[in-house]
Amino acid sequence: MIEVKNLVRTFKSGDRTIKPVNDVSFELEQGTLASIVGKSGSGKSTLLSLLGALDKPTSGDVVVNGVSLASMPDGKLTEYRRRDIGFVFQQFNLIPNLSAVDNVMLPMEFAGVRKAARLARAKELLEQVQLDPEKHVRRINRLSGGEQQRVAIARALANEPKLILADEPTGNLDEQTGEHIIELLSSLSRDHNTTILVVTHDRQLANKTDRRFRLQQGGLTEEPARSRVAAASG
Amino acid sequence: MSVLARSVGNAFRNKVRTGAVVAVLAVAIGLALSMLVANQAVAAKVAELNASVGTVLTVNPAGGQGFEGGGEPLTAEQAATAAAVPNVSTVVGTKALRLRNAAEAAAQAGAGTQAGGPGGGQGGPGGQTTTTLTTSLTAAIDAGTLGNRNQAGQETTGSNGTTQPARTMSLPITATGIGAEVDSTGKALTITEGSGLGDYTSESANALLGTTLAEKNGLKVGSTFTINDKTFTVAGLFDAGTTFGNNALYVTLPSAQTLASLPGELSTMIVTVDSMENVDSAKTALQAALGTDKADVTQGQRNLETAVSSLDSVKNISLIAFIAALGTAGLIILLIMVMLVRERRREIGVLKAIGAPNRTIGLQFVLEALVVVAMGSVVGAAVASLASGSIASALISSNSTTTTAAPTGRGVPGGAAGFPGGAGLPQGGPFGGASQLLTTVTASASPGVIAAGIAAVFGVAIIGALVPALLTARIRPIEVLRGE
Ligand SMILES: Nc1ncnc2c1ncn2[C@@H]1O[C@H](COP(=O)(O)OP(=O)(O)O)[C@@H](O)[C@H]1O
Ligand SMILES: [Mg+2]
Repeated sequence: MIEVKNLVRTFKSGDRTIKPVNDVSFELEQGTLASIVGKSGSGKSTLLSLLGALDKPTSGDVVVNGVSLASMPDGKLTEYRRRDIGFVFQQFNLIPNLSAVDNVMLPMEFAGVRKAARLARAKELLEQVQLDPEKHVRRINRLSGGEQQRVAIARALANEPKLILADEPTGNLDEQTGEHIIELLSSLSRDHNTTILVVTHDRQLANKTDRRFRLQQGGLTEEPARSRVAAASG
Repeated sequence: MSVLARSVGNAFRNKVRTGAVVAVLAVAIGLALSMLVANQAVAAKVAELNASVGTVLTVNPAGGQGFEGGGEPLTAEQAATAAAVPNVSTVVGTKALRLRNAAEAAAQAGAGTQAGGPGGGQGGPGGQTTTTLTTSLTAAIDAGTLGNRNQAGQETTGSNGTTQPARTMSLPITATGIGAEVDSTGKALTITEGSGLGDYTSESANALLGTTLAEKNGLKVGSTFTINDKTFTVAGLFDAGTTFGNNALYVTLPSAQTLASLPGELSTMIVTVDSMENVDSAKTALQAALGTDKADVTQGQRNLETAVSSLDSVKNISLIAFIAALGTAGLIILLIMVMLVRERRREIGVLKAIGAPNRTIGLQFVLEALVVVAMGSVVGAAVASLASGSIASALISSNSTTTTAAPTGRGVPGGAAGFPGGAGLPQGGPFGGASQLLTTVTASASPGVIAAGIAAVFGVAIIGALVPALLTARIRPIEVLRGE
């Protein structure tokens, strides 16, 4: 269960102050697949980085299963990112000179998992995201965008996080590959009871999620679920 | 995939750049190691010189420095006085005799020539009380050009006007009575055959002969010869390392005093001071105790002092160069690593975003730096194995022009010790085929010193790599979103 309480993040650019996240509050139950839509520059990435402890809010708090991020020292925040969060980025952000399997093993190495165990789990995860077995040991920069994003999702799942934050995961992929990725995420949230928050500006993809949020001028509003499902089915 | 494996992988990510960095590092590390090896070679030489003569003072009778000079001889009482001076550890008396071949002397006496010959060869002052005696021995130094030259010199001094045929002239043999097993400069005798004389403070019919003198006269250990009709047995042979030094013989001090019929009288006293720091004060105290009108105190082989001080400055220069080269290596590492951290800012952000602790990322960068340094060290040591030989020989030859006393001609003893390449290095290969010159030089630098030099390189590299590693700790995970 994630509670976001009056979250504010401001940036100073010159003498102007911008507020991409301005008093945002919401709650997500465990296992929910949610989406955030919004125009470019509306603050979606900023909000996600606050939820994933990549950045610190100007004010407000994020409470994960009763534990407040605002009160955590940096070391604990690192542990939070390692154990509780899985990130999926638009630009994949894999380590280019490592193989697919090595990339997936990295978060487990940081968590102190033994080598044999992490190798076995990495292969299992790559199978789950349907990467061809012969591509497991291939260097990242020899994989296609869709394959890289599958590896990135496998990496995000490595330490069995409670929350996966995906920032425009289909933004660099063609429509069909993007759909596969979203289907993959939605099946993962069902099978593993993982909360997934996807940022996207693809309405079609957003329509497939349980809950939909819109970020506009720093403010978050939720769109009614039922009408969208009705619209999609009708 | 471990931190180390990732570091090695990262070190080879840009092979051309890594190659260039390794090349530059190799020059700096090679220079540092060369300078350390040279420094140690020189330091060993300084220690050797200090150990051999640094603490020896020579006491001669006042005014006795000049050839055939005047002045009262030294006595056994003065030796006791000298021994009582603070910081004096030993006092060894010597009595110098000059020996002429009996037949030659008779011939010259018949021709009405002078009794004196050219002074003793070994560099010590002849002493005013040198007594000339006859012997069955023939000098090992023939009346060659040297004899002629001395002869000519003597003619111009006009001690007598008679011209003698050169063939009748040979150098006298120096016989010295010694109170301990040391030569006339206080250095321990190198006995090559037979044994020493045992108790040097009592009369003995045994003698030690210089190798060339024994050879010239066909004498071996156990052979006999005479001085003033007294028969002596050759107990041992010694090698003084010089032609003049080997045209000499040693008997015990009382034997020499008896031969000269001057019991208790000394030509010189060799005074050993307990440590190098006390030499100056002991010299002053000794001079005061003996009286300036009675004795002259000199530091044994003064030219060695200049040798030591010139070597000392070479030592300091090589140490400074070592530190500078080491610092340069550290600086190269620092700049390269700072550049790498800036370049991989976003990747560091990725690692942080997926939960890498700061120390893991820092360690990865330090290890990457060490991989590059290890390669630089291997190549650098190869560079050093080629350069240190010529650097050391350059130092030695420039040193030999400043002093004649330093034992520059001889290599440092040590055989095929080789370069201890295994210490702290992943590979020891490049050291095996080191030149002969390097072998002699590195043999003088202990394996511990070389290991310490390589440890210093790694220490500096760690410091150089630590700064950028700490910089990675300040990179925030949000960097992962840069440029998205
Ligand atoms: N570190 C920063 N410094 C200043 N302004 C920033 C910074 N990060 C984001 N912004 C600004 O905040 C706004 C929201 O950015 P972002 O969250 O990336 O938008 P989105 O992901 O919705 O496209 C943008 O106007 C952006 O320029
Ligand atoms: Mg964004």
